[in-house]
Amino acid sequence: MVQLRPRVSRTPASASAMVDEGQPASEEEAEHGLLLGQPSSGAAAEPLQDDEEGDSEFDEDEAPEELTFASAQAEAREEERRVRETVRRDKALLKEKRKRREELFIEQKKRKLLPDTVLEKLTTAPQTTIKKSPGKLKEVILQKKNEECEKGSDSKKTKEKVQKVQSVGHNKSYLAVRLKDQDLRDSRQEAAKAFIQNCLYGPGTNRTTVNKFLSLDNKRLPVKKAAAQFLNNAWGTQRKQNAKRFKRRWMVRRMKTSKN
Amino acid sequence: MGEFKVHRVRFFNYVPSGIRCVAYNNQSNRLAVSRTDGTVEIYNLSANYFQEKFFPGHESRATEALCWAKGQRLFSAGLNGEIIEYDLQALNIKYAMDAFGGPIWSMAASPSGSQLLVGCEDGSVKLFQITPGKIQFERNFDRQKSRILSLSWRPSGTHIAAGSIDYISVFDVKSGSAIHKMLVDRQYMGVSKRKCIIWGVAFLSDGTVISVDSAGKVQFWDSATGTLVKNHLIANADVQSIAVSDQEDSFVVGTAEGTVFHFQLVSVTSNSSEKQWVRTKPFQHHTHDVRAVAHSPTALISGGTDTHLVIRPLMEKVEVKNYDAALRKITFPHRRLISCSKKKQLLLFQFAHHLELWQLGSTVATGKNGDTLPLSKDADHLLHLKTKGPENIICSCISPCGSWIAYSTASRFFLYRLSYERDNISLQRVSKMPAFLRSALQILFSEDSAKLFVASNQGSLHIIRLLEGSFKHLHTFQPQSVESMCLLAVSPDGNWLAASGTSAGVHVYNVKNLKLHCTVPAYNFPVTALAIAPSTNNLVIAHSDQQVFEYSIPDKQYTEWSRTIQKQGFHHLWLQRDTPITHISFHLKRPMHILLHDAYMFCIIDKSLPLPNDKTLLYNPLPPKNESDVIRRRTAHAFKISKIYKPLLFMDLLDERTLVAVERPLDDIIAQLPPPIKKKKFGT
Repeated sequence: MVQLRPRVSRTPASASAMVDEGQPASEEEAEHGLLLGQPSSGAAAEPLQDDEEGDSEFDEDEAPEELTFASAQAEAREEERRVRETVRRDKALLKEKRKRREELFIEQKKRKLLPDTVLEKLTTAPQTTIKKSPGKLKEVILQKKNEECEKGSDSKKTKEKVQKVQSVGHNKSYLAVRLKDQDLRDSRQEAAKAFIQNCLYGPGTNRTTVNKFLSLDNKRLPVKKAAAQFLNNAWGTQRKQNAKRFKRRWMVRRMKTSKN
Repeated sequence: MGEFKVHRVRFFNYVPSGIRCVAYNNQSNRLAVSRTDGTVEIYNLSANYFQEKFFPGHESRATEALCWAKGQRLFSAGLNGEIIEYDLQALNIKYAMDAFGGPIWSMAASPSGSQLLVGCEDGSVKLFQITPGKIQFERNFDRQKSRILSLSWRPSGTHIAAGSIDYISVFDVKSGSAIHKMLVDRQYMGVSKRKCIIWGVAFLSDGTVISVDSAGKVQFWDSATGTLVKNHLIANADVQSIAVSDQEDSFVVGTAEGTVFHFQLVSVTSNSSEKQWVRTKPFQHHTHDVRAVAHSPTALISGGTDTHLVIRPLMEKVEVKNYDAALRKITFPHRRLISCSKKKQLLLFQFAHHLELWQLGSTVATGKNGDTLPLSKDADHLLHLKTKGPENIICSCISPCGSWIAYSTASRFFLYRLSYERDNISLQRVSKMPAFLRSALQILFSEDSAKLFVASNQGSLHIIRLLEGSFKHLHTFQPQSVESMCLLAVSPDGNWLAASGTSAGVHVYNVKNLKLHCTVPAYNFPVTALAIAPSTNNLVIAHSDQQVFEYSIPDKQYTEWSRTIQKQGFHHLWLQRDTPITHISFHLKRPMHILLHDAYMFCIIDKSLPLPNDKTLLYNPLPPKNESDVIRRRTAHAFKISKIYKPLLFMDLLDERTLVAVERPLDDIIAQLPPPIKKKKFGT
């Protein structure tokens, strides 16, 4: 972009404004000239006297500001140093912030884990024996997990890792089992049962009720009999109960009135 | 004989569970049957089809496949994803190994018997090696897209056919890769929305694969080229099972309509060498789905949702055409599920997961022979005792005085103290039962209800003394042989205890001295019922081939009567009965009478009357009053049989004038079965 000289406007503008514009422009350009590696002294060190020449139309008696190279250099260096300082400070701040966050996370994680003593005991205790707790499901689960662990060490397939926790402390005996595994197994078993129920008794299969099935014979006999009906004893239980209660109350009332 | 008042009990709501898998073992002629509640029963087909062993079920164990492997080892696999091996000697489960493939749908043992193949829900086929102690995972075959529902080995052991949903894959065993994938039509020459499920496959040694599917088709495939050879449409519903004979000249399929079809390889013309598979015989012995079939060398075996086990001997394979070649239908259990307290007239019914206690009704009316007397007090349902945990109840018993109830599951033993006075009932559990009592096969109380005898599945016999609210362990008889004890009997005076194992003879122990008294010589058929007579202390033993022996315990030898009847032999109709004798009891005042029953008759044997020979009528009906004395004397013999009450589950003498008969009509069982396939008949 071509730097347009500030034009002489029709309305008289303040001279300071014009001078201000001119000065920074010249400084920048001086810097730019410095950075480009131009010679520090000499005619080239004083570039763009044209702007000043333009401005000097208004301030003819004022001599152009003498800007030695050294001062300009010093200023430029100052500027650079300042910029570097700010950048460094910013980086440091960011680093600290990150550090603090990390520490916070570690703290939180530490809080979630078991106390150190327990962990030590777990890693050092032998993994082979398990205290057998008497009866019921626990035994079955124990055995299952035993098998899984053994199998896991035998074959090379990736299997679900079973978190086996040894009995910690001689007064307690428990076995930690991943609930996710058990749920998965149950849900698969349910899905399989639902599949077979659907195949055999689901929609699209040609099923009928048992009494209709047995009635077929009755209907084909030479002397046709009625269809086989199975008593539904659960029909109207509430009604029957109410009737029984009413009958009892009525009997009592009847006794009372007959006495009187 | 005397007049009796009979309590006819029909409120025992016994419904057996449906049969899911059947596996036949050729070497020992035994059949393993697994039911939907997880029970596995072993039937000895050469001992008159008697159920000699059983493994109690478990709620989580939904068995889907059963097979025998080398060395008489029995394996089962189910929807809980585990392969279970059964210990046939100790009658418990050896171990359960998780296959890590999800629910297991099918299992097959290799022809050599040393490898086991398992088809899982995630589509993987896993190969296991059978080692002497356990099984070990070997490798996985190529994983398929949908669940593997059926498996079959080629007799040479080189290939495997796996049936899935809508397709069949043929694998090569050595490489484990699928060679062919044969797509099955969803409907016979048509299109259908329902997926075609391959319920069964069978691989023959010439490379033919036979598949049965849910569209009702039996298809023959060539495994070398992977193409369909022949298609038979045999049913409108699913064809659910297939079994091939060892000689590969016949196979049997079972359909969901209850029909069982027999296919045979017959030559095209009478003297040509070319053979083809022809559907020869249909059998309709079932009303519901036939989910399992097996082919023994001489018979077709089928079982399904209608809970019957049907064994149909094939006429062309049977050498001697006698009663052995008749159809056998096993419906009712071969062991007692009911115990009775005679003093208080209580009945204890054993179900899979609960026990029911009932008080018998009473009547004050009297009548003539054959009358039905009205009840003055109805039968009362006193107690419904649910068991804790998922395991089934193995055995249960109530003491004769009615104050103790004991039952056992596979892992625990429960003893309860019952007090029942004038409509107040209370139950108290005796806690801290010892661990050696668990998994009891038989429980029995002594007559005075002071002692409890428990036969555990390790073969040992425990005697426990019962005190008020607690117990004391008296003695344990260690087993003579490794086999487990199955039946117990105690003498009414409390001195003698008889225990029968499965193959050894019956051991008789002296309870006072706690020593073994004597052993009845072993007989090659298993014992079905055992009882000791009140005053004479004669041990009466009934075997599965319908022989009845009487052994005198004090004299340590068979009685005279027993020798006489053995010399003469039983009546041929007596020996041809289908169902085993499950209970024997005695009359207190009449020592010459023995009361025994099986599922379709009950009989009072009068030892003072002459024995019938083959020419006399065995089942003589009660002669009417105006018959002459001569005829009555001619037809009088020792076996008084009545078939009025059937099907009988239990029959006992309550006191001198009263009998109790627990019946279970077949219709009541059928009423509670799952729905069958609809059959369209013309005119209905």
